[in-house]
Amino acid sequence: MEVTRPALVFDRVGYAYEEAPREAVSDISLTIAEGEWVGVTGPTNAGKSTLCLLAMGLAPHFFGGRLKGGVTVLGKDSRQVSVIERSAEVGLLFQNPFTQVSGARERVDDEVAFGPECHGVARPEVEARVAEAMERVGIAHLAARHPMDLSGGQLQRLALAGLLAMRPAVLLLDEPTSQLDPAGAAAIFDVLAGLHQRGTTILMVEHRLERLCELCPRVVAMAAGRVIADGPPDEVFNREAVQERVGIPVFTRLARDGALPRPWPVRVGDAATAFAKSIA
Amino acid sequence: MTASSTKDRLNTLAIVLIPVCIAIDWAGHALASTLKLPLFLDSIGTVLGGLLAGPWVGGLAGLITNFISSGTVDPIAAPYSIISLAIGIAAGIGGYYGWHKTWPGRIALYILIVLVASIGSTPLNVNLYGGQSGVAFGDTVVYAPLVKAGWPTWLAAYLDELSGDLPDKLITVVVAVLIYFGLPNRYRALFSVWRRPSGEPEPAPAS
Amino acid sequence: MAGGLSLYAEGTSLLHRAHPLTKGVLTLSAIALAFIAPSLWWVVGILVVLLALVTAAGVLRRFFAVALAILLPITLLLLAVQGFANPLNRTVVFALGPIVYYREGLAFAALAALRIACLVSATFLFSFTTRPADIAEALMQRGLSPRMGYVVQSALQIIPQTLEMAGRIQDAQRARGLETQGSLPRRARAYLPLMLPLVLSSLVATQERAMALEVRGFGLKVKRIARYEFFDSTLQRALRWALALAVPGAIVARVAGWR
Repeated sequence: MEVTRPALVFDRVGYAYEEAPREAVSDISLTIAEGEWVGVTGPTNAGKSTLCLLAMGLAPHFFGGRLKGGVTVLGKDSRQVSVIERSAEVGLLFQNPFTQVSGARERVDDEVAFGPECHGVARPEVEARVAEAMERVGIAHLAARHPMDLSGGQLQRLALAGLLAMRPAVLLLDEPTSQLDPAGAAAIFDVLAGLHQRGTTILMVEHRLERLCELCPRVVAMAAGRVIADGPPDEVFNREAVQERVGIPVFTRLARDGALPRPWPVRVGDAATAFAKSIA
Repeated sequence: MTASSTKDRLNTLAIVLIPVCIAIDWAGHALASTLKLPLFLDSIGTVLGGLLAGPWVGGLAGLITNFISSGTVDPIAAPYSIISLAIGIAAGIGGYYGWHKTWPGRIALYILIVLVASIGSTPLNVNLYGGQSGVAFGDTVVYAPLVKAGWPTWLAAYLDELSGDLPDKLITVVVAVLIYFGLPNRYRALFSVWRRPSGEPEPAPAS
Repeated sequence: MAGGLSLYAEGTSLLHRAHPLTKGVLTLSAIALAFIAPSLWWVVGILVVLLALVTAAGVLRRFFAVALAILLPITLLLLAVQGFANPLNRTVVFALGPIVYYREGLAFAALAALRIACLVSATFLFSFTTRPADIAEALMQRGLSPRMGYVVQSALQIIPQTLEMAGRIQDAQRARGLETQGSLPRRARAYLPLMLPLVLSSLVATQERAMALEVRGFGLKVKRIARYEFFDSTLQRALRWALALAVPGAIVARVAGWR
């Protein structure tokens, strides 16, 4: 078995925002290896977004608050590294496509170049990275357009390109497609699949359980600030605790209500096979 | 969490806030024009920025608003950039000491801003525009008769400028303070890191 | 599209291609010299030079439209007030009923108005021939903090967006019955109900924007790399120095008795 360095380690992490009476996350212990694609899900206020903010360092550096335990990303403790220092290796894509645009650039390609320029990357290298990033997300044809002329889906891809131009080893995504239409969402997931193949570590918060199960080899289910399940989606979504507190993918529910034998499938393909078998 | 990371957070937030305050300056003026109100009202963003986030944000907002308008619609305003800077700083100082939260404080804030605007603008008016403020009302009703009657130019110029600043800055401060307290607590708390620690939670407006 | 703010007019004249710094120095020294120069004819000379440059840049017509709109009111105001009330007034020129106009005041007003005309011409000469993005880039190349450069560039985009939003809020509020016409008190009452929602929507994304900037490394203390190069030359450098030195030179001349 290959020994890989862990990309992210949460060691008994608890965090409370400033002025908040309760912790947003409690006693989180997670180890994510390099190259893994982990999906995180849970009901509202489960602490999923906070997890991303902790991994990026925005909690505690941007938000203040009280941090317990240790968050180590790529070998460095998050308390010792500022968010802008982290940005060289870790990227975070937020939900809202419209507020991630820098607002200071008039062309899409200049916008993608913003991050590398902040990092002092040499000009030829910047141009190469911009071209590569725009190609990866499929917006190369929009290079000369003004960012504010883009649709929500295009803007989210632009934001992703802006992060990819910094060649992050770890990519965090906080419900990246919740404000996009199905086509826009599919485009983002395609890019992520490509990144996963190339070895980027991905931590993705996603509400739509069907997607999560389809894409992520590992799922972390959270509720009320704690991790309640952590493993392959087939395992996680067959647990009653998870089904009750987090939710149940449509196909799984079909299988359950259709009285199919356990374990219930969580993916479309598996569900189709299971149903076909049961009819036969 | 270290103190420097708090400063980091403020710096990025402040940097993002300044352009918003500049836009509010512009919009405040545009709205006054649309409603045909006889006032400039081009410093509301500057004052609000000062109250929310301090002298740096207020001052830079005022300065840059003026730079941009000088380069695009009103070059005559260019020498007055320093006055806008001073107004923003004054609002920031007032905000730091919480003047906007009490009635005496609000009056003090208004007086300070009027003084800064009028005392600062008068030397510029005297040297650039013959003592006139450029506002038709003040120039014809205040400046001209006073100078004609023998009053010293600098005094007539000051009163001319004051006649415009008194109403304009009054409405500016009133609107800025009303907006400040009309914002959800969350926004005020967001920028409150810079404020002098007083130990008490944000008090309700004293009105 | 954002950018409705800028006066920049496309062109390929020498002025368009000159380094923004050269144009900036030209503008500032022209303005300074116009105010330092002691008498009308010197100022007229400076104005003529500026107008020649405006013509050379190919923006004369556009320039006149904008400049006259600004200069006419202030010129009339100066003539009206100074001609009547200037303390140096002695020689009567004409009278409008009881209001008597004197030559000294009118001459004073003419000088002031011409200086302002130089101010406006020099500023517009710069604005018409320089892209805002280039101004920011040139300043940052010369040491302006990238964070300040960002503030200016962001403001240039946010201002038109906010003005647009103001229009939409006005429509929405009017549909809800807000009165924006009529007597002054009624119009004044509409101000806050229009400003407050505007400020709220402008502030709403501030925190998210700040986070998104940090996530891209904004504010890292690294040596800034120029995004592109401007056309500069020895001639331009010499011109900048000459213009910059002309200003203290003129001040000294004034002190020494230049009239």
